[in-house]
Amino acid sequence: MASIGQIVDQTSSGDALTRARQRAALVPDCMVEARRIANTVIAGWHGRRKRGIGENFWQFRPYAEGESLSRIDWRRSARDDHTYVRDREWEAAHTVWLWADMSPSMMYKSTLSGVSKESRALVVMLALAEILARSGERIGCPGIMEPVSSRNAAERLATALIHAPMTSGLPETAMIRGLSDIVLIGDFLDDADAIMDRIGPLARRGLRGHVVEIADPAEESFPYSGRTEFTDPETGQKLVSGRAENLREDYRRAYYARRDALGESLRRLGWNFVAHRTDHLASQALVAVHMYLSGAPPRTFGGVPS
Amino acid sequence: MNAFAFASPAILAALAALPLIWWLLKLTPPLPKAEVFPPLKILASVLKREETPSKSPWWLTLLRMLLAATVILALADPIFNPRVNSLSGEGPLALVIDNGWAAAADWDRRVRTAEALIDDAEASETPVSITLTAEPNHDATAGTAAAARERLQAAEPKPLVPDRARAVAALGAALDGVRPGTLAFLTDGIAAGETDETVKTLAALQPAELRVITGDGAQAVAITAAANSADTMSVKISRLDGSNPLTLPLSALDTQGRVIANGRADFASGQTVITSEITAPLELRNDFARVSIGAGVTAGGVHLLDDAFKRRRVVLLSGAGGDEFQPLLSPLYYIQRALQPYADLMQPTDSDLTVAIPKILASNPSIIVMADIGRLPEDTYAPLSRWISNGGMLLRFAGPRLAGAPADDPLVPVILRQGERALGGTLSWSEPQKLAEFPAFGPFAGMPRPSDVLVNRQVLAEPTPDLAERTWASLADGTPLVTMKRQDAGQIVLFHITAEATWSDLPISGTFVDMLRRLVQVSRSGGVTAQESGNVAVSQTLPPWRMLNARGILVSETGSARPLTPDGQTVTLAGFDNPPGLYGSEEGFTALNTLPDDTELKPLDTSGVALVRENLIGGESWSAKPALFVIAFLLLLLDSLIVLLMNGPLPRLRRTARTAAVLALAIGASVLGQPGELRADDSKPGDVTIMERLDNTHLAYIVTGEDAVDNISERGLAGLTEFMTYRTTLEPGPPIGLDLEKDELVFFPMIYWPISATAPMPSSRAVSRIDAYMRDGGTVLFDTRDQFTPFGTAGSTSANGERLQQILANLDIPPLQPVPPDHVLTKSFYLLQSFPGRYSGSPLWIQDRQETSGAAKTSANADGVSPILITGNDFAGAWAIDDNGAPLLPTVPADETQREYAYRAGVNIMMFMLTGNYKADQVHLPALLERLGQ
Repeated sequence: MASIGQIVDQTSSGDALTRARQRAALVPDCMVEARRIANTVIAGWHGRRKRGIGENFWQFRPYAEGESLSRIDWRRSARDDHTYVRDREWEAAHTVWLWADMSPSMMYKSTLSGVSKESRALVVMLALAEILARSGERIGCPGIMEPVSSRNAAERLATALIHAPMTSGLPETAMIRGLSDIVLIGDFLDDADAIMDRIGPLARRGLRGHVVEIADPAEESFPYSGRTEFTDPETGQKLVSGRAENLREDYRRAYYARRDALGESLRRLGWNFVAHRTDHLASQALVAVHMYLSGAPPRTFGGVPS
Repeated sequence: MNAFAFASPAILAALAALPLIWWLLKLTPPLPKAEVFPPLKILASVLKREETPSKSPWWLTLLRMLLAATVILALADPIFNPRVNSLSGEGPLALVIDNGWAAAADWDRRVRTAEALIDDAEASETPVSITLTAEPNHDATAGTAAAARERLQAAEPKPLVPDRARAVAALGAALDGVRPGTLAFLTDGIAAGETDETVKTLAALQPAELRVITGDGAQAVAITAAANSADTMSVKISRLDGSNPLTLPLSALDTQGRVIANGRADFASGQTVITSEITAPLELRNDFARVSIGAGVTAGGVHLLDDAFKRRRVVLLSGAGGDEFQPLLSPLYYIQRALQPYADLMQPTDSDLTVAIPKILASNPSIIVMADIGRLPEDTYAPLSRWISNGGMLLRFAGPRLAGAPADDPLVPVILRQGERALGGTLSWSEPQKLAEFPAFGPFAGMPRPSDVLVNRQVLAEPTPDLAERTWASLADGTPLVTMKRQDAGQIVLFHITAEATWSDLPISGTFVDMLRRLVQVSRSGGVTAQESGNVAVSQTLPPWRMLNARGILVSETGSARPLTPDGQTVTLAGFDNPPGLYGSEEGFTALNTLPDDTELKPLDTSGVALVRENLIGGESWSAKPALFVIAFLLLLLDSLIVLLMNGPLPRLRRTARTAAVLALAIGASVLGQPGELRADDSKPGDVTIMERLDNTHLAYIVTGEDAVDNISERGLAGLTEFMTYRTTLEPGPPIGLDLEKDELVFFPMIYWPISATAPMPSSRAVSRIDAYMRDGGTVLFDTRDQFTPFGTAGSTSANGERLQQILANLDIPPLQPVPPDHVLTKSFYLLQSFPGRYSGSPLWIQDRQETSGAAKTSANADGVSPILITGNDFAGAWAIDDNGAPLLPTVPADETQREYAYRAGVNIMMFMLTGNYKADQVHLPALLERLGQ
């Protein structure tokens, strides 16, 4: 019997880019919420559909006591007995760091899904880059690319990935300065504690994070039976199970417990957690991350508790 | 004796390979499937908790090791109590082996013992001489061991008493003074005759060692005699060893070998000869073919019985057809009830006597009973007479038919007066008679005189000089009641009364049963053939038919047995020429038993001789090999079960089951889905005609062969058919002409037979068929078509009348009378006083009703319909019409009223045929009228 899972070659970022654009086309422009816009804002060009700092007119509103008198729009106020203040639409840009895990375990692809985890991760990352670039955000990739604000940021990210393949493990965070968003895409199969040890300092530095866990359906449902020898693609460690089907319940319990623990820890940091399976559409993950980035909590997708 | 050895100890070296097997078993059986699995850490955390047996558990390994060890041990063939033997090497080995009936039970062990001795002799290169005591020829010359082994293999136990003296003499002659080394005597331990000097004679040969080897012979049991007493069969049983009490089952078997009765032989301690009994009813004991004791494994334990126990075959014939609705009126009923326990009864299925009598003669009956048969078909007299001459007994009962039969019947023991004698009638002074004492001769001698039997009516014998000595029973006034006549070896017996209770109450008394039973015992057993050559000689030779083999089984292979010639004086004993068995043929045989009657089994005398006693081998040493293999096999099964349970084959099984179910469904659907029904076509030629004739009632006439007569018959019946369709509810189909030779007659209630003197005379076969038709309840209307029928009167007769007499001479017809004025025929549809046709002068003759004798209604024709009607009025001529419905022939005198009456007569006749005598049954008339009135 052919084995269920296999390790596939790394996806070329060019292919991934094409697919990422297709996915990205389906997702509306992303508007990163910038509650703490402060210093990181450089010069946005994209209206936020709120009042704020910008150039374009947004609305007139009645003057409230205590406001600076200089903000009163006298031309409008002259029309009637009230005094109005001219609000401008907030236009701002935000730095979003994108990072995908490219470790060997991500190359895993089972017969239950069409693509490997790495491929899906890459697609999601590039699609996010495309969307965010469309929205005028600054896109960066820790260890690989400095944040750029450019319409073709996704392409540049893809090019950068070709030249500098991503390392495994969690990203180098030295280049991340100030408050910004970071999107981590990976399978996060290590212990929840080990992951939290790495993520914790980032959160304390004020980064707002979004973690996307890409899982293969085979890893979730454990469809193995009979006498099976399991190999870890990263360490090469082997495990032989006499009757794999007997393990299924226990394994799934442990698997979900790990995911729940991770998600709970992240939420405690104020980070968001999205679980995604490779047999589902990439758009699902994309939309979920998009919603978090936009500040609106997403509905759950795919029945997977997150 | 508790030695223990291996037949092939070299194989035990394989036990050293057990560690290797252990190591092999330790290896985990199948290679696992390789799977890449990234979340291995999670899996590892789960796996830690589960005990995963990567190798077989220790107890399974132990089980398999045990299995391997068992197989190795079994191959090494351990034997307990191995036989050690040593022969004296001083001379040839002499084997004297009893192969009589008592050796049959343990013959295999005897052969093995002898083989072992021959093997020993072969090892020491000693010549072997072998002598079998129950063989006709002895060759005791010492030869090679191989030759001796061959002879031993060819030898079989014989169902005979061993003839040891001859065998020992042959051995002595063959040794010719040479002293044998070991002389082994394998004996059944039974002394032959009163004194058996065998052992002493053997000792006289001066062997270096004399071994007497006995087996189960001491348990020999034999049936030495069997006799049939009043209520039981007593069986004499003898046994050899009388030391212990013993109970053996005793069974009686029939000819098919089925056990039909059981008994028990209880030997008390010290008792060697007993007489036990098998209790069974007489009729069951008649079926005994042999008696066997125990499991019946020897010829001595089986006692064959011969013809003395066989039941007689009795054939019953009746002149009147059977009526299943009134069995008490059937003449055969009482005979059947009386004879059933004592004889095999047979009744011919064919009512046509010309067919039935040759058939029953072919079955070789002992007795033929004829109840009220007046006249037999001409062809049957010769074979019947031959059968009687060969020893058959013809038992006849009188009745109205016999009373009316001509007096010159050769198959009646006395000359009978025409008609019968009625006692106690209205115009008679005589009283019904009782029976007289039975005479001192004849089979009824000694029977008590029945006081409750009254005879009302009988046939009378013409007095002859020897009538008294041929009378076996008579009435109180001296008239004979039972007479007989010897004819060569056989006899004819006549009861002058009917077999049913109309003429007397004898048939319903117990005396009747006793009389018939005694007659059956007098008759010759074993059946009688009707062959021409069959003058059974006293000094006949009986060919061997079934032989008894040594294991007490009857076989049809006769081998070299010679025919038995019993001379009546000396009793033939079973021997080489006449081995025990049945001699004769299936019809009759004589049994020859293994042991002469009243033999006693005595042990062989071995006193005064120095000898070594031994037992047969085979009992004490046994091999553990089969047991070990069985254990190994069970272990293997256990191991397979464990592996099955561990590997959980259930999901796979379920899939297999599903496939099987789908397959079965598909097959079932294809079978059920076959279109149409398939049935065998069993139609036969003529079925269509039969169905047509059965569908509707048809009038029928006999085709005489003369066109003019046949045309009138056809047109006449057509006219009557039309008249009846018009006047009555009976609507017959078109009339049918019958060819007496071929056509089936039973479909027609009445057949019209115009007599024509110029037509060819019907063959005897045709007349016999008409006879059978009338006996079965049909009616024939004879029409001589001449007004002046002088039937039954003296004087000149017409040509047609003569022809009618010729035809009737071959028919068994009842007494006739003209239709009386109160007969049913006169009122069955129309009220008539005469039955005219074209002419009106002739009366219509019908069967005499005998209503004066009260319950004289015979069962011959249900409801008293006469089997025969005779007229001379030419009915058909009066009925005949052409296609337009106009009459064809004028009546004489030309009177249309007469034609109307002729039709009415025809309707009345048909109604009489179809409805019987219910119009005569006026007993319930008042009740019927009353009911109609309400």
